[in-house]
Amino acid sequence: MSTLDTTAVGTTAAGTTTTEATAERPIHGARVFRWGERVRLPWRVRSGWVLAGLTALIVGLGLATLAWGPMGAGPRDLLAALRGEAEATTLFVLERLRGPRVLAAVGAGVALGLAGALFQCVTRNPLGSPDVIGLGAGAGAGVAVSTLLWPGMVPAPVGAVLGAGLAVAVVWWSTGMGFASPARVIITGIGVFAMATAVTHYVVAVALRDSAHDLAAYLVGSLGTRNMGHVLIIAVSLAVLIPLVFLISRRLLLMDLGDELAQSLGARATATRTWAILLAVLLAAAAVSVAGPVAFVALTAPHIARKLTRAPGPNLTVSAAVGAFILVSADLLVQQMPGLDGLPVGIVTAGAGGLYLGYLLLLEFRRTSGQT
Amino acid sequence: MRTSTRALALSGAAVLLLIVAALSLTLGNRETEPERMLAVLMGEGDQFMEQVLAARWPRTVMGAAVGAALAVSGILIQSVMRNPLGEPGLLGVTMGASASVVTASAVFGAAGGFAVVGAAMPGAVLAVTAVYLLGSRSGSRSVIPLILAGAVVSAVLGAYVQAMILARPEVFDSYRHWVVGSLAGARFETLWAVLPALLLGLLLALASVGGLNALALGEDLAAGLGVKVRRLRLMALAAATLLAAAATAAVGPIAFVGLAVPHLVRALVGSDHRWQLPLALILGAALLLVADVAARIVARPEELMVGVVTAFVGAPFLLAAVRKGKVRG
Repeated sequence: MSTLDTTAVGTTAAGTTTTEATAERPIHGARVFRWGERVRLPWRVRSGWVLAGLTALIVGLGLATLAWGPMGAGPRDLLAALRGEAEATTLFVLERLRGPRVLAAVGAGVALGLAGALFQCVTRNPLGSPDVIGLGAGAGAGVAVSTLLWPGMVPAPVGAVLGAGLAVAVVWWSTGMGFASPARVIITGIGVFAMATAVTHYVVAVALRDSAHDLAAYLVGSLGTRNMGHVLIIAVSLAVLIPLVFLISRRLLLMDLGDELAQSLGARATATRTWAILLAVLLAAAAVSVAGPVAFVALTAPHIARKLTRAPGPNLTVSAAVGAFILVSADLLVQQMPGLDGLPVGIVTAGAGGLYLGYLLLLEFRRTSGQT
Repeated sequence: MRTSTRALALSGAAVLLLIVAALSLTLGNRETEPERMLAVLMGEGDQFMEQVLAARWPRTVMGAAVGAALAVSGILIQSVMRNPLGEPGLLGVTMGASASVVTASAVFGAAGGFAVVGAAMPGAVLAVTAVYLLGSRSGSRSVIPLILAGAVVSAVLGAYVQAMILARPEVFDSYRHWVVGSLAGARFETLWAVLPALLLGLLLALASVGGLNALALGEDLAAGLGVKVRRLRLMALAAATLLAAAATAAVGPIAFVGLAVPHLVRALVGSDHRWQLPLALILGAALLLVADVAARIVARPEELMVGVVTAFVGAPFLLAAVRKGKVRG
C-alpha cells in the first residue's frame, strides 16, 4: 500500500486498500511452508530477505546499545560474560542496566508490530491500529492503576489487559457498529485516548505527587529502569501468543480477499476476526506492561513492512521485525543522542510516528488535489 | 423553540454560574470550612483565609473567562465547518499555541503576560493551517481527514512540548501543570494580558452571528441573502482561533470544553446563534469552574489539573455524538 487510503476512511465502504494489493492474488507468488496438519505458513523470497536484513539491523543496534557510551560493554566483554569470565561492573551493565533494556525493547516492539498488523488486517483499515483506538492508552491506564493506585491487587500485565480490553470495548460500543466504520473508530478512539490519559494523570497525581518525569514515563512509555522481570513478562507473553497468531495467519491472509470469498475458502470470517482482535489486545497489553503506552509503533510498523515487502496480506513477521527495529533504534536515540538523552522513548516514537503519518496524509492530499 | 424557554435557559445558566463561582471561592484542596470563608467574604475573619481567598479570586475569574472563550470558539468552529465534532483542541489550535509558548519560553526564558499571548498566536495559526492543508480533501464532505490531521499534528506537537519540558526542567518547572491546562497558578496579570485578544475574538464572534444564521441554511442561500461566505468563514475562524489561542496561552491546553458546550447549547436553545453565543459564554464559564472545583477535590490532598477533569467529563460527549450517528462515514 503506497499511500494512505482515505477512501477507506470516508464515505465509501472500506475494501482492500490498493490497486497493488488487489492486482496480485495473495497466495500467488508465495511459497507455503507446511508443518503437520494445521500449520501452513505462506512466505516469499523477498520477505525473507527483508526479514534477514531487519534482523541483522536489530542485532547491530542491540550490540550498539550495549557497547556505546561510557558504561558500554563491547562484544569482547559480551563473549567474556557468556564464558563467565567478565568483570563485575560489566556484568552489572549487561544484566541489570542495558541488557534488559534491549531485550524489553525488542520484545515490546515485536508485540506492537504484530498487534498493529493483526488490527489493520481485521479492520481493513490502514488506520485501525491499537494507537488510534486508544488501546495503548487504556493499557497504560491499567498499568498505572494496578501498580500505583492499588499495588498488589493485580499484577501490572493483568491491569494492562483489563485496561486495553475496556478501551476496545468502549470504542466497540460507542461506534454503534463495531469496527465497521473507520471514521467512527478514529473519532471514538480520540475520546477513549483522552479519557484513558486522564485516568493515568489522576493516578500519577494521587500516587506520585505529580513528578514530571514519572508522569511522562506513564503517559508516553519509557524503557528506563527495566529489569529481567519485565523481560520475562514479554518473553512469556510472546512465547504463548506468537504460536496462536501463526495458527490464524493463513485465514488472515484469506480475509484480505473479502469476507464472502474468505468464508467460501474455509476461513470463518467472524471467528477469525474475534481471535485476531483478542490476540492483538493481549499482545499490545503485554508490550505496554513492559514499555508503557509507546505511541505509533503499532500503527507505522505494518505500513513500513508493506512498503518493504510489497506483499499483500498482513505481513505479520516483517511487521514484528519492523516494530522491534523502531523501538530499539528509538531507545538507542534517547540513550545516546545529545539533545534527546534522558527522554522517555515514547516521545520519540510519538514525534517520529506522527511525522510519518503526516507524510502519508500529505501524499494523500497531493494525490487528491491533483485531481479536480 | 419559544423565546421564553430560551430566556429561561439563559437565566438558569446565569444562576448556575453564580453558584459555581461561589463554590470555586469557598472550596479547595484543603478541608477549609466554608463558614470561615463566608466570614471572610462578610469582611471579618482570619489572615490565612484572606490569603486563600486572594489566590482564589483570579483563579475563579480566569476559569470563567477561559471556559467562555473555549465554548464560543467551539460554537464558531462547529457552525463554520458544519461539523458537530469541530473543536479547537481537535483541530490542533491548542497544541499549536502550547508548542509556540514553550518554544518562546525556551529561547527567551520564562516570560509572562503579553509575551505569552504574542507567542501563542503564531503557533495556533500555523497549527490550524497545517491541519487544514493536511486534512482538506477536494470534494470530500467527510470530517474525518480533518479530525485525523488534527490528531496527527497534535500528537507531534505534544511530543515536542513534552520533550522540551523534560529536557529543560530549569525553564519549565512552572510549566508542568500548564501542559494539560491548569488554573492553579492563575494570576490577574495573565488575565489582563490575554484580555485584549479575548475581547477582540468575542467582538468578531458577535459580528458574525447574523452571517452564521444564514450559513446554517446552506451556502447558496446564504450567498443569495447577501452574505459574503468566504469572508464570514475567515472572520469566524479568526475569532475562534483568537479565543482558543488566548485561552491556551493563559492556562494551557484544555480539551473538550469547546466540544461539549455547543452540544448542550443547541439542545437548550436550538439553532439561532443570537441565543447560542451568550448561552455558550455562560455555560462554558460555569462548566470550567465546575471542572476546576472537582479538580481540587477529587485527588485531595493533591490537586489535579483542570484539563484532566474536562477530558474525562468531555470525552463521553464525543462518544455519545458518534453513537447517535452524528458522524458521516
